Amino acid sequence: MSHNATADRSIFSGKPLRILIGLILVVNGMFPALWILFTSLKTEAELTVKPITWLPHAPTIANYLRAFTDQPLLLFLFNSFMVAILSTALTLLISLLAAYALARLQIRGRDLILSAIIAVSTFPLVTLLVPLFEIMRALGLLNTWVALILPYTVLSLPVCTLILVSFFEGIPRDLENSAMIDGCTRIGALFKVVVPLSAPGVFTAGILAFVNAWDEFLLALSFNSNPMLRTLPVGITLYQGEFAFPWPVISAALVVGIVPLAILIVIFQERVVSGLTSGGIKG
Amino acid sequence: MATASETTLVTMHNESGTKWWTRFLDPSERTLAVLLLMPAALLLTLIIVYPVGRLIWTSFQNLSLTSGVPATFAGFENYSLMLDDPVFWETTWNTVLITLITVPGALLVGLALALMANLPFNVKWPVRLSLLIPWALPLSFAGLIFAWFFHSEYGVVNDVLRRIGIEGVIWFNSANWAFAAICLTIIWKTSSFMALIILAGLQTIPRSLYEAADVDGAGRLRQFFEITLPLLKPAIVVALIFRTITALQTFDIPFTMTRGGPGTSTATLAMYIHQNTVDFLDLGYGSALAMVMFVLSMGVTAVYLRMIRTKG
Repeated sequence: MSHNATADRSIFSGKPLRILIGLILVVNGMFPALWILFTSLKTEAELTVKPITWLPHAPTIANYLRAFTDQPLLLFLFNSFMVAILSTALTLLISLLAAYALARLQIRGRDLILSAIIAVSTFPLVTLLVPLFEIMRALGLLNTWVALILPYTVLSLPVCTLILVSFFEGIPRDLENSAMIDGCTRIGALFKVVVPLSAPGVFTAGILAFVNAWDEFLLALSFNSNPMLRTLPVGITLYQGEFAFPWPVISAALVVGIVPLAILIVIFQERVVSGLTSGGIKG
Repeated sequence: MATASETTLVTMHNESGTKWWTRFLDPSERTLAVLLLMPAALLLTLIIVYPVGRLIWTSFQNLSLTSGVPATFAGFENYSLMLDDPVFWETTWNTVLITLITVPGALLVGLALALMANLPFNVKWPVRLSLLIPWALPLSFAGLIFAWFFHSEYGVVNDVLRRIGIEGVIWFNSANWAFAAICLTIIWKTSSFMALIILAGLQTIPRSLYEAADVDGAGRLRQFFEITLPLLKPAIVVALIFRTITALQTFDIPFTMTRGGPGTSTATLAMYIHQNTVDFLDLGYGSALAMVMFVLSMGVTAVYLRMIRTKG
């Protein structure tokens, strides 16, 4: 049925009411980030005025300058970025191979393997804090990117594998077969035919893996105590003094951390939604 | 005919590969499956399987990195210590309470958001983005942002309360208000994910069902309870289980909002595990605590796997 028909049968059929509901949704989703943006533009003096002001009266970028000088914010960004990119690449590579095997090859115990993957996707990594801490210490990996890249890869591996399996299953086998007749090996066919055709799925999986890695806090806090190796979420907590919370500076740092995510989400919004709702589940 | 010629071509191709490396590049299907699954298996062994064994072992050890004494077998000492530890009970209770409050809370708010987002808006992207942004926001960012929201002097929550004539509270000075602030933050942060999953479920319900119900004279409420909710059940169950397991691991939001304070009144089990492991370097005790969370989560996962199996 057309949109108008559904609108008519809705209990919220009035247009003003619909706009109001849209507004509620937007305020619920955007207000916290918007409020932090406003705070980041206020002067220290304006912040301690009562009653509080909502929009900044004399917007300033001083807090952003302090955010970059009080702590090595650029370095936090760099660490977060590298850890997220490298773990995403590793996740995609490993899950591509596994998903191809599960989607295309005759495997005994395929259902068992898929169940195991689902079980891993709900596995609480927090409980492995002690053994992972010991392993990373024994391997000399504490205070390195690798200490985070390996667990982050595991964090996204199940979701990405499930997304890719369902994508591969949608690609006709004939295309691969003809590539193999033309002299491709199976692995050649995977990277030359299947991967390009499932690019949307690979992309969706990649975005989810990136967001998972960008957001992680506990392992980054526990494994990398050297301030130079902090990721952004952990680094931002360093702005808090023992008693002082420099809120405008923290807000500025938060805005710096939100912007890359927001860009990613705005550009790829439809892809992210399809990834989340097809195979991808995250808390 | 086409299939026949394909088979011959493939066979010819295989036969032409006489050098050993061709066999390596084009292995049999079974070898290939093993090779392709190997990286995933190796990584999962290093990061999950071996650590789980190690966790169980360590929980029966006296292993503190601060003492410098080598690990000794402790039997159930860590566990009996735990049962007598009031902070263990408090943090476990807080974790269970957070789960019991925020999981249904996020479900209800998420359901409401999804029903609202499912209206026929002319422009769709603002609604989609306002569900995606809270999902993508790191939990620790949400914790910091809402800590500022609930600031007693300059926070926007108390400001709004004052405008409508209610005297605000000093949120983080009282155990109960701090706990409430944390739960509200978690519900805000996690409900948008619930909404996205439920929204996808809503969009698969055929319109014709509602039209038929209209013809039969069923009211809106009856349609909601007899068509919408039953058909949404699979989506809701999956979202609920994942949310439950992440709720049991709650760390980032209380850590960034209150650091568990006042006292240990808003500390969670994950925070207590982290404190014993990273701050006190008491790996034996930290492992015993982690075993409790492990068992809780495995229980939920077992229920989940059983539900998927019965579903088909």
